[in-house]
Amino acid sequence: MLKIRFHGRGGQGVKTSSRILGRAAFLDGYIAQDSPIYGAERRGAPVVAFTRISREPILERGYIFDPDIVIVVDETLLDDERARPLDGVKSGGIVFVNTQSEQAQVENVDDKLFIKYSITDAALRVIGKPIVSSPSAAAAAKITGIISKESIIQATIDELSELGLAEEALERNLRLVSEVFDTIPTPQLKILNGETTPREVIQLEYKGVIYEDIVNVGNASLRRVGNWRIFKPIVDYQKCTGCMLCFVYCPDSVISLDAKNKPIIDYENCKGCLICVKECPLHAITAVREVKIYA
Amino acid sequence: MREVEMMTGNTAAAWAARLADVDYIPAFPITPQTEIIETLAKWIGEGLMKAKLVQFESEHSMLTAAGTASLAGARVFTASSSQGLLYGFEMLYSISGWRAPLVLVNVSRGVAAPLTLEPDHNDVLSARDSGFIQLHAENCQDVLDLILLAYRVSEDKRVRLPSIVNMDGFYLSFTREPVRIPSKEIVGEFLPPYTPTLPFCPSRPVVKGASVLSGSLYTYFKHNMHESMIRASEVIDEASRHFEELTGRPHKPVEGFYLDDAEYVLVMSNSFTTIGKKAVLRLREKGVPAGLVKLVMLRPFPAAQLARLLKNRRAVAVFDQNLSLGLGGIIYSEVAGALYNERKRPETLISVIGGLGGKYITMEEFEYIFNLLQHPEKIEPGKPVFLFRKDELRAVENTIKLAGVV
Repeated sequence: MLKIRFHGRGGQGVKTSSRILGRAAFLDGYIAQDSPIYGAERRGAPVVAFTRISREPILERGYIFDPDIVIVVDETLLDDERARPLDGVKSGGIVFVNTQSEQAQVENVDDKLFIKYSITDAALRVIGKPIVSSPSAAAAAKITGIISKESIIQATIDELSELGLAEEALERNLRLVSEVFDTIPTPQLKILNGETTPREVIQLEYKGVIYEDIVNVGNASLRRVGNWRIFKPIVDYQKCTGCMLCFVYCPDSVISLDAKNKPIIDYENCKGCLICVKECPLHAITAVREVKIYA
Repeated sequence: MREVEMMTGNTAAAWAARLADVDYIPAFPITPQTEIIETLAKWIGEGLMKAKLVQFESEHSMLTAAGTASLAGARVFTASSSQGLLYGFEMLYSISGWRAPLVLVNVSRGVAAPLTLEPDHNDVLSARDSGFIQLHAENCQDVLDLILLAYRVSEDKRVRLPSIVNMDGFYLSFTREPVRIPSKEIVGEFLPPYTPTLPFCPSRPVVKGASVLSGSLYTYFKHNMHESMIRASEVIDEASRHFEELTGRPHKPVEGFYLDDAEYVLVMSNSFTTIGKKAVLRLREKGVPAGLVKLVMLRPFPAAQLARLLKNRRAVAVFDQNLSLGLGGIIYSEVAGALYNERKRPETLISVIGGLGGKYITMEEFEYIFNLLQHPEKIEPGKPVFLFRKDELRAVENTIKLAGVV
């Protein structure tokens, strides 16, 4: 059985990725199982989804703790204490990272194989938007080495049609899927040790009455969300007249005003929604592609 | 639509309602059940189903409408989860007392507080005494099949009691796997149209759900419902045989896995059974004569069948994904009761609590259970064993520390 785990952020569509891959495997005659895990997360929070592919009935459900392949759709998750996308990857497993890399790079790190490629840039080129759900599925399918291109294309059509995607958008997604599938290599997956480290079972102790209260309030401000950005809004202060519209429209209140009412953007917390770019009547704010390099 | 399709448990439930050609769907949203209603609403909007879907202001109204519409002669489908089921709870007893044979899908979710979205069975088992037949699904195919089976059995004139079909939230509700969709013809042959008894009709007045205000009448009717419920067992067997003839898929109230020569047996239900089966296979590889009993039918409780399957075993563990606070596992007590009058009952019967709020159970935890079965002297008899891991405890302690509670 092959186990694939997708890591992304709410809104990036990793649930769809896991479904496209699951359906492609199903179309190729495998038994497949795909599922997301999410709670009450807002957009941008870490999200995980899973695909299991097997010739035999799948006697597993839920979270994949020991993936053969991990697809990191958002590289900033690599530093996220809670997402921990590399946890449990089998020795000899493959990690795909969506990062700044025009060509698909393959390298060994410790006992794992890393493939780096920017599907975001590929998506910007082909679709014009940073759509990463379908190309992530294509990358995963190619890495498995057992999914046909025909099936990943058909699965993309099935899944995206179900989501009600317009024909032209679907067409572009298919071009992107096809391109990513052709670009990503199929390295040999050599699982060196399929067994996970044994986890100790314990007996819970009673330590008196425990309340589910939270005393440490207000820690949301400690979480920096600036690294979610794909595009960065840059203000041209020569053009800006200080009309304050960007300040009013910013949904996250990360724009403050200086003495002349000109905007100061808090880049540590700006998520790059680009509403300010849209609202500025003088087009004084532009969106600049921002790149974070995962070393 | 392909004959086999990738679908979630929620979609499978919607497919069953569609194939059963239900007339009326009273609804109220709650995670993780909402997708069922959304799917049905979409199909009705597209003209693929003729049913009437009405969204109510609460589950209490929803279930009231469900029961009364069923008495009026409509085939009724409805669904809820957790708090939602509990909010409409009072009406469960009314629906069964009225002998309204509707089908309610419960998508299991732990009951707050603390609030969570993932499954355990305190919600559905709270309805165990309400007069609903209960069928619990292990996989998405079961969801579809058991709903069809539930309509057939509930509407049977020998039974005339409502059914709850249970599936686990997330582990089934949002998990896709291949599901076979039976043809309209097959379902038509398996499930005859619903013929209500004395339906509401303007030209012939009838009082339904009349008050009795008498202990004797009350007992008389309750005894009658109990006997009908007991007889539902045979009707389920009969319907399952017919279903298997038509589809090739057997659905037994109690299913055994590697049971023939098993000395150490785990009793469990719902979606975690899949993981339990993997554990049994691993133990078999290590030479441990392990086996598993899956409970599909929780009401009527298959006491005699359980006693037959569990007698002469060396040791049995009951895995309860529920907790009756101050007692332990609910199903453990019921299995113990079923075994008491069996002279060759297993000497050891262990109670295990696992999977509360969807807590994942690893192979190590399953192996721990089988280890206890081989060495029962390590634990106090009858005292429930809570499955928990060291790595989980570390994470829990860290979270509590972050919350700031000393």
